[in-house]
Amino acid sequence: MSSRSGSAKDCETSDQTPSRSASSPVPESSDTEAEGLIFYHMDLYGSKERFDIFPEEPSCQEERSLGDTRRESAESASSSEKFQHSQEAGYDLEKEVAELAKMYGLDEDREKELELLGRHVESRWPPARTEKAGSQGSVYTASKSSSPVKDQSQSTKKQGLPSEASQDEDQSKARAEDEAESPIWSKEGLSSGSVSDEWNSQAVSEEEEAADVFCCTCKTPIRAFDKLFGEHKDHEVAQLPSAVESEKEETHKNMCKLEEQIAQLENFASHLEEIFITVEENFGRQEQNFEVHYNDAVQVLAQKYEEQLEALGEEKRQKLETLYGQLVSCGEHLDTCKELTDTTQELCRENDKANFMKAAVTMVDRLGEFLKKEVNLELSTLPDFEERHIDFSEVEQLMNSINTIPAPCAPVISPQAPNAATGTSLRVCWGLFSDDTVEYYQLCYKPVSNERHSDEQAEHTLKVKETYCTISNLLPNTQYEFWASALNASGISPPSEREVYVTAPSPPIIKTKKILSCENAALVCWESGDINPVDSYMVELSKLTDEENGDTVTESIVGIPNCEVLIHLQPRQSYHICVRALNLGGSSERSEPVLIHTTGTYFCLNEDTAHPLLAILDDGFTIACDQLENPECDLPVYDNSFTRCIGILGSLIPFPGKHYWEVEVEEDTEYRIGVAFENTPRHAYLGANNSSWCMRHIITPSRHKYEFLHSGMTPDIRITLPPRRIGILLHYENCRLSFFNADIAQHLYTFNSHFQHYVHPCFALETPGILRIHSGIAVPPWAALP
Amino acid sequence: MALKQVSSNKCFEGFQKVFEHDSAELKCKMKFGIYLPPKAETAKCPVLYWLSGLTCTEQNFITKAAFHQAAAEHGLIVVAPDTSPRGCNIEGEDESWDFGTGAGFYVDATEDPWKTNYRMYSYVKDELPKLINANFPTDPERMSVFGHSMGGHGALILALKNPGKYKSVSAFAPICNPIQCQWGKKALGGYLGSDVSKWEAYDATQLVKSYPDSNLDILIDQGKDDQFLSAGQLLPDNFIAACTERKIPVVFRLQQGYDHSYFFIATFINDHIKHHAKYLNA
Repeated sequence: MSSRSGSAKDCETSDQTPSRSASSPVPESSDTEAEGLIFYHMDLYGSKERFDIFPEEPSCQEERSLGDTRRESAESASSSEKFQHSQEAGYDLEKEVAELAKMYGLDEDREKELELLGRHVESRWPPARTEKAGSQGSVYTASKSSSPVKDQSQSTKKQGLPSEASQDEDQSKARAEDEAESPIWSKEGLSSGSVSDEWNSQAVSEEEEAADVFCCTCKTPIRAFDKLFGEHKDHEVAQLPSAVESEKEETHKNMCKLEEQIAQLENFASHLEEIFITVEENFGRQEQNFEVHYNDAVQVLAQKYEEQLEALGEEKRQKLETLYGQLVSCGEHLDTCKELTDTTQELCRENDKANFMKAAVTMVDRLGEFLKKEVNLELSTLPDFEERHIDFSEVEQLMNSINTIPAPCAPVISPQAPNAATGTSLRVCWGLFSDDTVEYYQLCYKPVSNERHSDEQAEHTLKVKETYCTISNLLPNTQYEFWASALNASGISPPSEREVYVTAPSPPIIKTKKILSCENAALVCWESGDINPVDSYMVELSKLTDEENGDTVTESIVGIPNCEVLIHLQPRQSYHICVRALNLGGSSERSEPVLIHTTGTYFCLNEDTAHPLLAILDDGFTIACDQLENPECDLPVYDNSFTRCIGILGSLIPFPGKHYWEVEVEEDTEYRIGVAFENTPRHAYLGANNSSWCMRHIITPSRHKYEFLHSGMTPDIRITLPPRRIGILLHYENCRLSFFNADIAQHLYTFNSHFQHYVHPCFALETPGILRIHSGIAVPPWAALP
Repeated sequence: MALKQVSSNKCFEGFQKVFEHDSAELKCKMKFGIYLPPKAETAKCPVLYWLSGLTCTEQNFITKAAFHQAAAEHGLIVVAPDTSPRGCNIEGEDESWDFGTGAGFYVDATEDPWKTNYRMYSYVKDELPKLINANFPTDPERMSVFGHSMGGHGALILALKNPGKYKSVSAFAPICNPIQCQWGKKALGGYLGSDVSKWEAYDATQLVKSYPDSNLDILIDQGKDDQFLSAGQLLPDNFIAACTERKIPVVFRLQQGYDHSYFFIATFINDHIKHHAKYLNA
C-alpha cells in the first residue's frame, strides 16, 4: 500500500511538466488497483495528446479528503518508492515494501486509505453509466468510474513517468499483489490485465476524446476521430483492446525468452565457477609440481657448481705449486752458476802457477760436472686449465621430467566388501586418491599368520591393470593381508596400507545321523567345515511341495552361534535343510541338504548309553542282545552306558507336544520300554526309580506278565493278547505316557506324570532277543484322543 | 412306546433325564435314565448303555457314578435302564435281593413264571435301543455297552453274543463266569431251568470260546479288595484265561484297595468313558 501511496504522492507533488506527462501514458484505470498494470502501456500509449486531456478532467475536489490522507502517507512513502526503483528487475518487492511500510508506520494510513477508497469506489459504482462506451464492447461499459476515480487515474498516470518499463512492471506487479491483500481490491478481481484494460478504455471513452483505436503505422493509440480526419488518416489501425492483447502477448513472449536466458546464464555461470575451481586446482597442482622439480634441478645445478669450483681450485693449486717448485730449483741453479763463476774468476787471479793448476783441475772437474747437468727450461705445467667434462645428464633428466608424469602416490586399498569372498577366493579393490597416471598395480598378499617365520615364503605378488583383482585358490576361512603399489614410467609408489581380508568359511557338514525331529520342530546339528572359528551359522529351509523340489528357500534362520539349532516347522511337511557358515568375508556355500519329514517324531539311539552286551544293528534302530552274561567280562564300558540293565537311551528332540514311536517285539522276548530322564541312574533297572517310566514284559510259567513300572511300582494289569507292536505316546502337555497295542489300537496303560524335564526313549532287553524301533511315524488317530 | 419324562436336571451343560415307558418286552412300566450331552442339541451322538448291578435301579448309576462330565466332553448319550421288570406281581419276585426284582441278570427267562416278564436281554438288546433311537438324536450305528457286576456280566454277554453290534465293551467287577458262581447258578437256574448247557449262552467266559473274531477291545477294572471277588462270585481269572486262549484282547486292571462300590466305579469311570469314546467317536 505504501508503494501506491508513493505513486500518488509522486503525481501530486511532482512538477507536472508536459513532457513528463506526455511520457506517462494514457489515461490509466481509474482504480489504483490497476495502477500496477498501467506500466505495460506506458510506451504503447505514450501519446502526447493524452496529456492534454488530463487538465480537463474534473478536479479532484470531490476526493479531497481522500487525497489529503493519501498525501500524508505518500510523503513518508516516497523514499520507499525510490528504494523500489533502485531494485533490479525480477526482485520481489512485496516483502520490502511491506517492511518499509511498517517501518514508516504506514499501516494505519493505509487502512484508512483503503477504507476511504473502498467506500468511494463502491458508492460510485452502482450508478454506472453506459452512455460512453461508444464503440467499446459491453464489458467496458458495464461499469464506470466517476470523477473521483478519475482523479486517481490521473495521478497514477503521472507516477509512471520516470521509470523504465520493465522495472515498473515488476514493481507494479508487486504492488498489485500487495494490494490484493486488501479485501476491497481482491473483490475487484485483483487487477488482472484485462480488468485494467477495461478500466483504461472506459476512462478514455468517457472523455470522448480518449484514444480508442491503435495506429499500427505510428505505433500509437489514437482517437477514432483522428483516423478519419487527422494525421493518421491513411494509416492502418486496429481496435485498441486487440492491439493491447497482441502487444502483451509479445511482451510476455519476450519475458519468457528473458527468463530462459537468465536460467541459461545462471547455469553457465555455475559451470564457469566449477571450471574456475578446477583450473585453480589443476594449476595449483602444476605449480607445486614445477616448484618441486625446479627446486630439484636448481639443487642439482648448485651441487654441480660447487663440485666444479672445487675441482677448478684444486687444479689451480696444483699448477701453482708445480710452477713454484720449478722457480725454486731455477733459482738454486742460478746461484750455483754464480758461485762457480765467482770461483773461476778468483782462480784466474791466482798467481801461483802451481796453486792455480792445482785448483784449476778441481775447478774444471767441478765445472764439467755442473755443465753436464741439463738445465730444464721447459714449463712443467701449462698455464691454462684442463678441459673438463661437465655431466649435465642428471639435470637434463630432471628438466625433462618436469613435463613428464610424476611417480604415482600410494594407492588406497579398500576394506573388504560384503560378498567379496568365497571359500577359496577374494575380490580385492583399491583406488587412487590422486589423478596420477598408473600403468599397472602391484598387488601383494600373504596369509595372516602368527608364526613369524612363515611370512616370507607365503608372500605373493601380482601385476594388475585394474583397480580390483579376484584372487583364487585361497584357503577357506583364512585371513589374508593385502597391499598394493602403483607403477608408471616414472617409478613405483610407496605401498598402500595393509588391509586384512578374510575368505568365506567352508560349508558345514550336517550330522545326518543326529537329526532329531517331530511334528513341529527339528533339531539339526553340524560340524564346522573349518578349523578356524566362524562368526555364526545360518540355516535355510525349503519346504517341499509337489511342484517344487526344494530349490526355493522358504525360510532362513540367521545368527546361530553354535553348531546346533532347534527349528520350528509345520506338521506333516517335508523340508530340505541346509546350513551355511558365516564370517566377515561372507557366507559359505550351502552344506549338503538334509531331508526332514515332520510326519512324526524321529529320534536316534544314543550309542554312548548302550550296555556293552547290547548291539545296535546296521539300520541303527534294531537292538539285540545275544547273551545275558559275558564270559570274558572285559567289554568296554563307557561312562555314560548302562551297567546293569541291558539297555540304551534314545535321543528325543527336546520339544513339547506329542511324540509317538513304536517298538516291535517278539512274543517271547522280555523287555522294558518307556522313557527316562537323561540322567537316569545307569546302574539301576529302568522303571525301578523315579527317573524312568516303562512297560515291562516278563514270561512267568503260567502267563505273559506286563508291568508298568515307575519307582519300582506297577499296577496289577492283565493283558490277554500279548502285543507285538507297542505304541508309545508321550504327551508333555497332558502329562501322559501311554502304551498301546498298536496292531489293534488297544490302550494298555497310561502313566500320568508331570515330566519336570524332557525325557528320552529307553529300551532294554532282559532275555536274548531283539527290539525293532520305529520312529518318524505319525501319531495314530486312536492314540491321539484327548 | 410313549415316553413320559419323570425328571430332568441340567448337568454339565447337558441334561440328565429319567423317562418312564410301557415296555412291550417286559410287559410292565420301565424307567431309564438318559444323559444328553450338550452336543446332542446340535448333532447325533453315539449311545453308551450302562447296565447296573444287583439291586440297582436306574437311579444308582446316574446319581453315584459321576460320569456326566466325561460324557459331556466326549459327546456321548448315556442310557441307564433299570435292572429288572418291576411290579409284575410274580410270586417270590421280591423275596431275595439276588433274584427277581432288581436281579434280571440280562437274560430272557424260559421258565415259568418269569418267562413273560423277565426278558431283560431282549429289552436291553432290542426294545430299549429302538426306543432311544426313535426319541433322541442318536447315531444308531454307534453304540457301546458297559456295566457293573451283574451289569458287567450283561455288558460282556451282549457284546460277545452280538459281534459288531457294539463298538466296544467294558466292565467294572463283572460276573465273568456266572455258571461257576453262586449268584449265577441261582439266577440262571431260576430263569432258564436246570439244563446247564442253556446257561452257557449267557456266560461270558463260555461265550468267548466261540467268539468269532478279536475286533473287540475289552476293558475290565476290578477292585482288589472287592469282597465278591474273594467270595468267588466274579471269577475274572477264568474269563481272562479264556480270552488269552482265544486271543481276545482284554486289559484287566486289578485296582489295589478298591471294593465293589460305586466309589470304585466313580474312580475309574473316566477311563471307561474314554475307552468307549475312542471307538464311538473314531
